[in-house]
Amino acid sequence: MRLFKDRTRPAGEAPPRLRAVPEDDQPPLRSVRAGGQRRLRPIPPGGQPKLRQPSTLKPPGPRPTLHTSNGGARPLPRGAPFNPRGGFAGSPPLEPWLQRVSPRRIRLVMAMMGLMAAGLLMQLIRVQFGPYAPVFAARGDVGASRIEQVFPSRGLIYDRRGNLLAANASRYYLEVEIRQLSPISIRAIAEVLSRILVLPLEDLHAQLSVDWAARGQFRIRLTRTDQNGQTWPITVDKNVAGVLNNFLADPQAPDLSGLDLVPAPLRVYPAGNLAGHVLGFVNQEDEGFFGIEGYYDEWLSGKPITVERPMIPPEARLFPDPPAGVNLVLTLDLEIQQMVEIELQKAIEASGSESGQVIVMDPRNGEILAMAAWPTLDPNLYEPWLAKAGAEEPVITPAVAAQYEPGSTFKVLTMAAALDAGKVEPETEFVDEGQIEVGGNLIRNWDGSAWGPQTMLGCMKHSLNVCLAWVASEKLGASDFYSYLNAFEIGQLIGIDLAGEVPGQLRNTRHPEWTESDLGTNAFGQGVSVTPIQLLAAVGAVANHGLLIQPHLVRQVVGPQGAYSPQPTVLGRPITEETAQTLTDMLSTTLEGETPFAHVPGYLLAGKTGTAQVPTERGYDPNWTIASFVGWGPLPDVQFIILVRLDKPESSPWGSVVAAPVFQEVVERLVVLMEIPPDGMREGYAASH
Amino acid sequence: MRDGRTSTQASRHAFRQAPWRLQFRNTGRTVLGVIGLLVLGGVYLAVNAKVARAGRELLVLEGRRESLQRANSELSAALASATAPEIMRERAAYLSFHPAGPEDVDYMFVEGYSGEPGFDPPRPLSSISDRRSMLSPAYTETLGEWLARWLEGG
Repeated sequence: MRLFKDRTRPAGEAPPRLRAVPEDDQPPLRSVRAGGQRRLRPIPPGGQPKLRQPSTLKPPGPRPTLHTSNGGARPLPRGAPFNPRGGFAGSPPLEPWLQRVSPRRIRLVMAMMGLMAAGLLMQLIRVQFGPYAPVFAARGDVGASRIEQVFPSRGLIYDRRGNLLAANASRYYLEVEIRQLSPISIRAIAEVLSRILVLPLEDLHAQLSVDWAARGQFRIRLTRTDQNGQTWPITVDKNVAGVLNNFLADPQAPDLSGLDLVPAPLRVYPAGNLAGHVLGFVNQEDEGFFGIEGYYDEWLSGKPITVERPMIPPEARLFPDPPAGVNLVLTLDLEIQQMVEIELQKAIEASGSESGQVIVMDPRNGEILAMAAWPTLDPNLYEPWLAKAGAEEPVITPAVAAQYEPGSTFKVLTMAAALDAGKVEPETEFVDEGQIEVGGNLIRNWDGSAWGPQTMLGCMKHSLNVCLAWVASEKLGASDFYSYLNAFEIGQLIGIDLAGEVPGQLRNTRHPEWTESDLGTNAFGQGVSVTPIQLLAAVGAVANHGLLIQPHLVRQVVGPQGAYSPQPTVLGRPITEETAQTLTDMLSTTLEGETPFAHVPGYLLAGKTGTAQVPTERGYDPNWTIASFVGWGPLPDVQFIILVRLDKPESSPWGSVVAAPVFQEVVERLVVLMEIPPDGMREGYAASH
Repeated sequence: MRDGRTSTQASRHAFRQAPWRLQFRNTGRTVLGVIGLLVLGGVYLAVNAKVARAGRELLVLEGRRESLQRANSELSAALASATAPEIMRERAAYLSFHPAGPEDVDYMFVEGYSGEPGFDPPRPLSSISDRRSMLSPAYTETLGEWLARWLEGG
């Protein structure tokens, strides 16, 4: 028997009493402090435990209970010593297997667990702060965020009256979030897309069934393969996107979990093929090509920025918008553009021409008011147009890229040079014998006949090749002639703000292939190539008192900080104001004699017809011509200059017959749209003020 | 007296050393610590929940903003398509209008009239500077700026 302190005494019972406890097989334990820690030590045999005085200050609280094997519960005696083999004193004996566990084993297990915990801690520190911490961090970040390139909205393009010429809409890429896919949704997505978009089911299913996660990809963009085996991302318009979004929102619809419609910009041209050649187009990668879109691509597209967009809401934050693209206001007037395109189309159909262009410019400031070309180009459908064009480098903007031999319209520049150099005057006489030899090359008139004595006025009126070849070779000389052509920017880029401009071809005296015969032919527009815009700008100098203004199409650039209006650029003064006035008067006088189809009642106009042969590899084509006309008015305060060009007309080869009427029709409508009163009214108003 | 003091000391000693008392105290401390941790965790959780909700709201609003911008652009394009010159010409022809020629127009000089007013083009939709200007100075003003403003009596 051993005596132990009875700690089961209820409150209020003053004297502690000792009770007998049956002696166990093992010595009981007692609680001792050793090294600051409480440990259980066996009580030595015969040892008397120290009795403590019970507290009478306040009653003890509820005691922990000891659950017995039969389901009952009784309070555990306070301070009951613990026997590793028998449990707490007073408690039922431990299970036999537990009694067999030695304290050494327990310590060993605890030590092992401690070591494991320490190892885990070390590993945690290594992962978090070790040399490979970035690698682990990157692995942890997979799927937590997405790196995106954010493109600003492409700038809008307006005409001078505010009509929208190029706008932005949306198309949608089909993307799949791999982690949200299930076998059911894979099948459903493939079947739905296959039916709606008429795409091969197997191809879609195969794309969705690839183990993308193993490749570290958690988001894919669905693609289609064309007939040539090329792979393209699948895009849908807003109508199809609406259907798919309805499917995604409807719980009764097929399970399309994981499918996502990602919007992407789509360039649209509300006016269709109106001014399509001027605008150019934007491809699927949002890159501008040709025309305004190509020339101002960098300004219009803005600057994309790359952001890491977190997919976890707590880490979401506001990103700055990328620097927006500028809006452009063109010098084009859509009403004039439409009228000119209609007139051009009529002329093409009436003359059976292969193609043609009409450009209307204000020579005072170089603003292009209309720039029409046939066949038309709808930038919304540029891909079929390119496929139809077939050529390796199709001419998208003929006004700046379709160079041609100008023929007699070029005589304006030859005469301007001779007049300005003082070599001839309007009344200078020339006897036309029907042919002239320049550099060993025999030059004849357009009709092969001799026109006898003529003044310079007559030479221009009858468009005599022989006379102009004589002026260039005998009166002006090669040096002065090419010097003037250089001043008129012939053979050079005029610098208009349209992509795809070509410089044309002019062989001057420094050119290794130049011969003296070139001087004779160049004088009447043969053996020299120009673009329509080059010729218009050069002749525009004659219409604009001798000042050569750079043609341009952008009237205003509107950025986030404000609007900027480019000022007209003077490229030079190739001829004096007096020369320009003299030549304008000459061409105004001769116009009526040259063609009866360029006259507009009430308005004094000047102009020159042109009929050029078409050069081929075997010389000039005997069957086809390029008919053209360049004219300006109203005189003397010129407000417009117009160039008409018709390629390979069938009804008549002559510019005076097929091109001049187009000028006439355009001017009749143009004076109304530009609100230009007839000459008499204007002169009367000027006289009264 | 001495016996009484000794007895009290002994009682206190016995009371202080009582294992159930120590266990109770330790348990109390532990529970207090746990409660403290729970409070801290709760506050942390509440703040995080708020941040998450704000982040979620931000994502939703950004998405809605982009969606509205797209819708706006598409509506502008649709409006421009509906009023394209070709459409208007067809409509005018349907209503028996025809393009005016010089003979259809009477001119009258009006003093001071200088033609149609020019088109005032809109600025691009957004920019970083615009976004910055949207923020209240309360979020952008630095301590130094505030101090300078305060010293100036602003």
